[in-house]
Amino acid sequence: MSFLRLLSCFLFAISAASAGIPFNRDVRPILAENCFACHGFDKKGRKADLRLDTRNGALAVIRPGKPQDSELLARVVTTDEEELMPPKKSGKQLTAEQKETLRKWIEEGAGYEKHWAFEPPAAALIPGRAEEHPIDAFIRNRLTSEGLAASPEADPATLIRRVSLDLTGLPPGTAEVDAFLRERQKDPEKAYRDLVDRLLGSAHYGERWGRWWLDQARYADSNGYSIDAPRQIWKFRDWVIGALNSGMTFDQFTVEQLAGDLLPGATESQKIATGFHRNTQINQEGGIDKEQFRIDSVFDRVATTGTVWLGLTVGCAQCHDHKFDPIEQREYYQLFAFLNSQDEPTLKVFDASVDVSGLSEELKELQQKLAARMQEQAEELAAWEADLTPASRKTMPAATLKILEIAPGKRTFAQSRALFAASIGAVGVFRELNDRYAEVDTVLNGGVTTMILKEAAVPRKTHVLIKGDFTRPAEEVNPGTPAVLHPFSAPSQRRANRLDLAKWIMSPENPITARVIVNRIWQQYFGRGLVETENDFGMQGTAPTHPELLDWLAVSFREGGWNVKELHRLIVTSATYRKSSVQRPELREKDPGNYLLARQQRLRLDAEIVRDVALTASGLISSKIGGPPVYPPIPDGVMGQGQVKRTWQVSKGEDRYRRGLYTFVYRASPPPSLTVFDAPDGFSSCTRRTRSNTPLQALTLLNDAAFYECAKALSQLIQREGLETAFRRCTSRNPSDAELAVLSPLAAADAARVLLNLDETVTRE
Amino acid sequence: MNPQNYSSSALRDLTRRHLFSRCAMGVGSMALSSLMAAPGGKTHFPARAKHVIFLFMAGGPSQLEMFDHKPKLTELNGQPIPDSYVKGKRFAFMDSSHRSDLLGPRIGFRQHGQSGAWVSDYLPHLSGIVDDIAIVKTCKTELFNHAPAKLFMNTGSGLFGRPSMGAWITYGLGSECDDLPGFVVLQSGPRGPRGGSVLWGSGMLPTTYQGVPLRNQGDPIVNLSTPADVSEQRQRQVVDAVRELNLKRLIETGDDEISTRINAYEMAYRMQTSAPELMDISGEGQNTLDLYGIKDPKEPSYARNCLLARRLVERGVRFVQLYDTNWDHHGGPTENLQKHLPEKCRDVDQASAALVTDLKQRGLLDDTIVIWGGEFGRTPMGEVRESTGRNHHIDAFTMWFAGGGFRRGVVYGETDEFGFGAVEHPVHVHDLHATILHQLGLEHERLSVRSQGLDFRLTGVDPAHVVRDLLS
Repeated sequence: MSFLRLLSCFLFAISAASAGIPFNRDVRPILAENCFACHGFDKKGRKADLRLDTRNGALAVIRPGKPQDSELLARVVTTDEEELMPPKKSGKQLTAEQKETLRKWIEEGAGYEKHWAFEPPAAALIPGRAEEHPIDAFIRNRLTSEGLAASPEADPATLIRRVSLDLTGLPPGTAEVDAFLRERQKDPEKAYRDLVDRLLGSAHYGERWGRWWLDQARYADSNGYSIDAPRQIWKFRDWVIGALNSGMTFDQFTVEQLAGDLLPGATESQKIATGFHRNTQINQEGGIDKEQFRIDSVFDRVATTGTVWLGLTVGCAQCHDHKFDPIEQREYYQLFAFLNSQDEPTLKVFDASVDVSGLSEELKELQQKLAARMQEQAEELAAWEADLTPASRKTMPAATLKILEIAPGKRTFAQSRALFAASIGAVGVFRELNDRYAEVDTVLNGGVTTMILKEAAVPRKTHVLIKGDFTRPAEEVNPGTPAVLHPFSAPSQRRANRLDLAKWIMSPENPITARVIVNRIWQQYFGRGLVETENDFGMQGTAPTHPELLDWLAVSFREGGWNVKELHRLIVTSATYRKSSVQRPELREKDPGNYLLARQQRLRLDAEIVRDVALTASGLISSKIGGPPVYPPIPDGVMGQGQVKRTWQVSKGEDRYRRGLYTFVYRASPPPSLTVFDAPDGFSSCTRRTRSNTPLQALTLLNDAAFYECAKALSQLIQREGLETAFRRCTSRNPSDAELAVLSPLAAADAARVLLNLDETVTRE
Repeated sequence: MNPQNYSSSALRDLTRRHLFSRCAMGVGSMALSSLMAAPGGKTHFPARAKHVIFLFMAGGPSQLEMFDHKPKLTELNGQPIPDSYVKGKRFAFMDSSHRSDLLGPRIGFRQHGQSGAWVSDYLPHLSGIVDDIAIVKTCKTELFNHAPAKLFMNTGSGLFGRPSMGAWITYGLGSECDDLPGFVVLQSGPRGPRGGSVLWGSGMLPTTYQGVPLRNQGDPIVNLSTPADVSEQRQRQVVDAVRELNLKRLIETGDDEISTRINAYEMAYRMQTSAPELMDISGEGQNTLDLYGIKDPKEPSYARNCLLARRLVERGVRFVQLYDTNWDHHGGPTENLQKHLPEKCRDVDQASAALVTDLKQRGLLDDTIVIWGGEFGRTPMGEVRESTGRNHHIDAFTMWFAGGGFRRGVVYGETDEFGFGAVEHPVHVHDLHATILHQLGLEHERLSVRSQGLDFRLTGVDPAHVVRDLLS
């Protein structure tokens, strides 16, 4: 094995040296930047019927091996302004170096390469020593070639805090830190691996990584637009948490969310999963064209599917052929067709303890019995009614009087039942039947609802929409996928549906999805993906910093059966992940952005986790998982900003102290303490959060009522258990004497606020 | 300790002591320099201006009803625009509500001032200051949908994640104000601008340069007030201790984000006093309120924001941006030319003119650039929705500039007989950016930041030109 690795390393070096100018690295960017806008994929925008994005097209102006006979070169080097390309008025200009690159490339045969992301990932051989963790081998290989040394491992307290926050979104307790330090004395590697096992097995893992997915699913608890009414779709949020905790493989995870309703014998859970694409906004304004906004929601679904699973800006082809990536407008609407043919119902969801079918049956029987009884006693009721006097009427509730105004034959079942219950049926058998009926009815009507997809009985037709305008349908299209990716085999007997799309996405031939997902998981651990443009793997995106590693991870993920937890384990057990994040002078000089990963990266915690850390450190946190969203205290005046003022009844009991991901989020007026730390807005898919660092965050941590409440609780802990313990609850490490010297003169209440405001407390180091 | 003693220079001294005593590893030098970033003094050449106030009319105001006088449109109202104008052009709402029939202006125009600039009757107050401003009728942008076009006007790119002009300028010049953010955003109108906070984002520049929105109601900034049972003195002690400990961590880790956070806490603390003072305009004289047309000093409005902009500039804030929304007059039910455009004009006319006048009276106009405009203009052709409006138009639209060394009383650039395109002096958004930076003493090609091996600039990679004709 080690020989193979060495060999591959050697071969890699050889091939890099002999292949001459690498097209994707050196030539494509020149052509893309300067030529493709007029000589590229978009046939409507193409000038002189010349395209340079394919070799066949380019051969019209290139003679391979003969730069001097190639018009392309002549036109870029000419001094004649009439002839010069790119034309002067485009404002673009090639440098001498770029012209030379083109010349050499033509001389070497003008070879083209497919854009890297559209080629299947190749399982690169792992460079280096056999015993080395594969990730470390790839990372070290590059570092060595750049003459940089990797940083040492982070100190143990930093490490346990880092991996706990990364895997569960919660800092370790002091006892957990102590246990880890003890175990390390015996066997550091085993201690760490056991820790990782425990964290991956924690139910909080699903919360932390669930939120990662919910960003991409653009999850929030209201309908958006100007009305922004609350909605119930938290069952989908809980489904995500549960699926991740159960270790559901990523292919199943995908299929259930895109098409769970179409699986044979779809379970309730699989239907709930389709809530993924119900996280679109709903416009409830008066006077709107519903179809317009339905189409808008489908646009969003296409764009989201493209971004989340394909890492492509598919949405760019909504109005015209994509300018940079080979995606035709027609292909866009073929994707659209998959997502354009469903109804959008809500599903009633019951607690597992409820026997829904038994109760439904019972309700039906009760209804029959009650109806029969009422028929039997109709005359008796008529007599009772006839006996009513104005005085007796006065004592009756308004609802009963209203029913009395309706002629007996015209009353509904519910009205008759209510009237009987208020009169001659108030006692005896009717009463018994009726009470049970009310009870069963309450249980059956009391379930939670959640928004789902359901394939329409009659498929909706899809047309190309000219310029994306729903009032201008052009040719009809059938469901299909972009030709640049792996082939889609449409079913012969029926129309292709979302399930076929989901299976196509998760097909082993798919060159892109595994890369996109591993990259997006990697990004959470290092603050940046191996491909920095995590939502654009197309030609406008950035090239991977470590292409072989990316491919190796992608292939491992796919071949390993899309096992998400294993991917996490793989990354966090690497030495690369465990490195110290401390900056070093030579790295600041040579790799200030830490692209080469000689060290780890300090990362400010996500908005929800900033809250979770404060709640955990202060001991207030509720460990309850799932359930309806909650209403922790928020500043005054926040809810008055939207078009419709919403109420915010602060939750009582433990719901006041739930983790940040359970806070109710109105899209139009989101909780400021989340927004200020860059929580996404839920309007469209968010594949990477920004990490800002502002005075407003300082004001939040200092003054916000919820954080202040945490400080008060932490202050009591200081009084009971001392400053050092409180310091450890926030940072997981022991304070230095110098640090204690700063804190000790302060009153406990102030020291607690200081601790919750430390940069270190809100940062994963 | 008296809070006043913790000015930024005290912080710098403290930092220096710490770093020089502890910093054997040498990690602190960069952090030190970023903490010590001297306000101002980093210009490439002497500056004509120090501050910018950008009055942003979000949605795209109709130049044809405000500044670009086109009698020919009235004459040919209802007739199709010649094919030669529109062939190969793309528009928003192409071929849906978009139409090709010319639409005459909804209002009359008159010439004003010594410059004889044409201004519509919707703008009686701006008509009165035409000799103080430079009207540019041939602004040109590249993108015709709101959010991308707003990004383009603000960041020079239609993509998310690039630094905004305010961020670039605060980055380039530093802030002259140590108790308010260097870049402040104020909003009026029924909603926030499309695109949201990315419009004042800092992109690949440090986050400390991003714009800070000030709220018009309640606490100007959420959580600005110290908890009720915490005294001023204790708040100061807490902030001091946080800084001490953060500084120690900065030295341990060498992470520049910590120096940003230290600055953020200092700023936050000072903002607790300075922001309420700023927002309290009760001390302004009645004649000032009347000048701006502010009826109730407490009621949020564009006019009040204009006055706040002056107060911000007085306090040394580098870049103030006002967003006023609902300028998207397609002819929809809430944004049409007949009813709503005149209302919007009334909303901004008096206060915008008052701002220029007020700055001038106070001697602030010389070093403050006032910019008025939106993300694009509107088509000479009518658009038919509930009523007739105008579609988005990117080839020629009007903006105006005042102060900061911009010429006074000029109308620059000429559009064709329909106001469709420039026939003379087109001014690309990047040219505007280059010109604004130039007045601030910044050379647009040198104001750059390296990210991913590329040098990013506000003016992008294509050549941009300082429009010297606009400068005095």
